[in-house]
Amino acid sequence: MSATTTHDEHHDDHGPDKGIMRWITTTNHKDIGTLYLFFALAMLFVGGAMSLVIRAELFQPGLQFVNPDFFNQMTTMHALIMVFGMIMPAFVGFANWMVPMMIGAPDMALPRLNNWSFWILPFAGTMLLSTLFMDGGGPASGWTLYPPLVLQTGDALPFAIFAVHLLGVSSIMGAINIIVTIMNMRAPGMTLMKMPLFVWTWLITAYLLIAVMPVLAGGVTMLLTDAFFGTSFFQAAGGGDPVLFQHIFWFFGHPEVYIIILPAFGIISQIIPTFSRKPLFGNDSMIYATASIAFLSFIVWAHHMFTVGMPLAGQLFFMLSTMLIAVPTGVKVFNWTSTMWKGSLSFETPMLFALAFLFLFTIGGFSGLMLAIVPADFQYHDSYFVVAHFHYVLVPGALFGAIAGAYFWMPKWTGHMYNETLGKVHFWLSAIFVNVLFFPQHFLGLAGMPRRIPDYATQFADFNAISTIGAFGFGFTQLLFVYIVIKCVRGGEKATAQVWDGAEGLEWTVPSPAPYHTFEDAPEVR
Amino acid sequence: MSTMANETERRQRIRRTAVVLGLVALAFYAGFIAMGVLNS
Repeated sequence: MSATTTHDEHHDDHGPDKGIMRWITTTNHKDIGTLYLFFALAMLFVGGAMSLVIRAELFQPGLQFVNPDFFNQMTTMHALIMVFGMIMPAFVGFANWMVPMMIGAPDMALPRLNNWSFWILPFAGTMLLSTLFMDGGGPASGWTLYPPLVLQTGDALPFAIFAVHLLGVSSIMGAINIIVTIMNMRAPGMTLMKMPLFVWTWLITAYLLIAVMPVLAGGVTMLLTDAFFGTSFFQAAGGGDPVLFQHIFWFFGHPEVYIIILPAFGIISQIIPTFSRKPLFGNDSMIYATASIAFLSFIVWAHHMFTVGMPLAGQLFFMLSTMLIAVPTGVKVFNWTSTMWKGSLSFETPMLFALAFLFLFTIGGFSGLMLAIVPADFQYHDSYFVVAHFHYVLVPGALFGAIAGAYFWMPKWTGHMYNETLGKVHFWLSAIFVNVLFFPQHFLGLAGMPRRIPDYATQFADFNAISTIGAFGFGFTQLLFVYIVIKCVRGGEKATAQVWDGAEGLEWTVPSPAPYHTFEDAPEVR
Repeated sequence: MSTMANETERRQRIRRTAVVLGLVALAFYAGFIAMGVLNS
């Protein structure tokens, strides 16, 4: 772990502007990080409300609250908002706040671009949400936007496509900024291999973003020309191939899963050593495992589309390459476990969320292995088993990683300790309800319930009712998180600079709250 | 003096890296559309 011999003493020379203009014109990485995090929190509740519409409708068989078309719009918008509006911006927020402090840089390398990256988001998000009120409603084809179904969307199609373009531009600009910052702004002595794991995972994630977000943009551009300019990239009637879109989408879509989960891996890799009071076991192997996962993510995309039909050699290749990802992922899980082995463990809220991540993400990983097996996938495909699988990866995986990170760094951001008792209540309610919500969906899928349907046969009723109870429990529990955050921002026990006695790294050498400007004089890292 | 030179050089490096990465993103975008054109 790196150590510093000096740190900035001139950080309070000038502070932030006053009023709303501070937030609109800011180029400060901490302000922009805060904006990203609050935007993500708001979108968590927007996307979460949509999921509650879905779960309320599925509480019992028959149509209760919404018509099937609106139900499909909800499944589509829930996913788009959660992926592009919530979890990705949340991790960009963490990167903004923490990467410069962790590498000893005064700010991001391109601060104006940083401001622009953020302020594109609210407009893109609003445009996407506005499609729900347009003639014909919002897109209802699922977040995969598969043609020809998506081409039946009403007035909303060009707006949804433009919103996806804007979200992509924002992500690419953010990724460029992160890479440029890490490659050019590190403090003297902060070699690549000395960088904290969170910085490493974000560096690799940023490269993934630059490689695959343009692919999605290219795919949806072709959708646009198919819909409005008479091309036939994906329309069989004009000689096009709808399956081509699936290849393009999943060439983006699978690395996207790792774009979402790798920063969470980074956060967990900071938290577990801190609360085990031991250095991370196998630090270098964690870096190589992260890079391996990123590389493999480019060669597994067709496991999402085994059922479209492909040559046996293709099936075998994508099945085996997918299973190969279990190796570097296993390295990570074993390294986290080994870090805790004989450590002096304590179980504050960030550690509890990190442990839940470790157990529950692994469940999502195992069900992913089941889905990788071609003949089994033919049975599971488009069933609730798939829904259970990816929600275990994304909710107790990525979202718990983000929540763990928020509790871990909140004292550094606000200068106050959060309420530990409330934090633990939040953890236990979240951990219980998330399993009540998603675990029964495995059984529903194995019993044959398809995904993306508003009504179902009566034999699926019990597990759906349980899942819906879990959904409302989990949703309302997150209001407690908002209360804890607001309470912590407004006051509380004063946080020390180091905050956690096992914490190591440059970010813990500056006072809490972190001054508006840090490391204007670069620290020396030994 | 050398600190200023270092800072100028760093700014140039930052600009160069950002432009190269932007061009890589653009190449992926155009490349996949070109692949679609060739495929249709």
